Amino acid sequence: MDLTLIVVLVIALALFFDFTNGFHDTANAMATPIATGAISPKKAVALAAILNLVGAFLSTEVAKTISGGIINEDPTTGVAIGPAMIFAGLMGAVIWNLLTWLLGLPSSSSHALFGGLVGAAIVGAGFASVNYGVLVSKVLLPAVCAPVIAGVSAYLCTKLAYAITKRQSGSSPKRGGFRYGQIFSSSLVALSHGTNDAQKTMGIITLTLVASGLQDSDSGVHLWVVAACAFAIALGTYTGGWRIIQTMGSGLTDVKPAQGFAAEVSTASAILASSHLGFALSTTQVASGSVIGSGLGRKGGEVRWGTAGRIALGWLFTLPAAAIVGGLAAWITHLGTVGVVIVAVLGLAAMLSIWFVSRKQPHGAETTMSDIDNSGAAVNILTKKQRRAKAKAQAQQARVAAAQKEADNS
Amino acid sequence: MIDWSAFGIVAVVTWISAMLIVTAYSFGVRLLAVAKDDARSTGLSKAGAYFCFAVAGLIVAFGVVLIVPQLSEALLGFSSSH
Repeated sequence: MDLTLIVVLVIALALFFDFTNGFHDTANAMATPIATGAISPKKAVALAAILNLVGAFLSTEVAKTISGGIINEDPTTGVAIGPAMIFAGLMGAVIWNLLTWLLGLPSSSSHALFGGLVGAAIVGAGFASVNYGVLVSKVLLPAVCAPVIAGVSAYLCTKLAYAITKRQSGSSPKRGGFRYGQIFSSSLVALSHGTNDAQKTMGIITLTLVASGLQDSDSGVHLWVVAACAFAIALGTYTGGWRIIQTMGSGLTDVKPAQGFAAEVSTASAILASSHLGFALSTTQVASGSVIGSGLGRKGGEVRWGTAGRIALGWLFTLPAAAIVGGLAAWITHLGTVGVVIVAVLGLAAMLSIWFVSRKQPHGAETTMSDIDNSGAAVNILTKKQRRAKAKAQAQQARVAAAQKEADNS
Repeated sequence: MIDWSAFGIVAVVTWISAMLIVTAYSFGVRLLAVAKDDARSTGLSKAGAYFCFAVAGLIVAFGVVLIVPQLSEALLGFSSSH
């Protein structure tokens, strides 16, 4: 098989995966501050993009295995994950990411990648090539734990925030102050995303270069790889997955500043705790759990369980669906160079058709903004001063009208 | 196979750190609201509020140190990603 062609294709697809990872995950950091009006949509995605770019350049430790132990990659007993298999796995991940984006579902990009690789490995090397124990402990269990840990945290924090700021005298608690905090808490989430997620793509590209003999196995990541991955994820973030932002920001529950702050702090804490204490959790699942928890924590807050169920269903399907696409792609790549070209063409066609369908109901910064403006107007509560002024004006008007009437009568 | 203790530690650390930040920031918000309403002891309330925001900020700054490997190596002596 033409080695350089497949290497070029893998690098291109890996960078595109990085891009979809970026726009899929903008919502994790920025959906709640956008929903509460802490920061305008355009500024939010720009901030998230910059922090992702910075984060990608800061991350130094790049993954040493592609699948993190899910596929038996042992050099003597395991399967060699070659460029063709990586290409098939990436194709599964990218197509699933685009499909969930079209449906506005936040789903884990790393689980999609694992799924694609698992499918490709099963087709390429049989069912024995997958470590099912690792699959359970690294993918399935965290998928249940992540939303529970973050949800409980956000629930407790929301309760706490409302209890502490409650004023017995009945005067205004001024909870709008939480908006300023939101900018910092969401920035923390965006930065940690950049350091974590861009690494995955850097790892894939580097391992592909090593496997095809274009790079020494003991040399580090090339600077151009770091730069390309950093810009791909930042560009993806800036493009903004508005559909997912809408689901996370207003689809699950109506978020108020105190809730948004509680949710983001919970997300950031859970991600940091998990990445430093060795139980990796998916950012997307943590963030979704936080939003639901904050919805349950506010008195009168309402969680739309239908949407939550749809999201959970999406998580359930992420791994098998990406695996099926990855497996199919791996099966076609067995035809050799022709197969790889067929996969590339079919994949491109699938991506383009998803994009064309998405054009039919566009969700841009503008529609997101106007939806939030409308909901803001619906719940606009006048301040005490405004209420008093309004009452005064009405009384004045009534007096004038009464005087007018009297004058008319006499 | 499944490391339940790691899961427990992650859960407890998440809850404690998130609640610390939210408690500190919430007291700040409350003290600012008090400072705005009460004519007396405005200065004290305001100072208290900014102290609370500073505490929340410090915990967040620690988070940034943990995220950035270069910073955690320089300040904590170890880089602890994964």
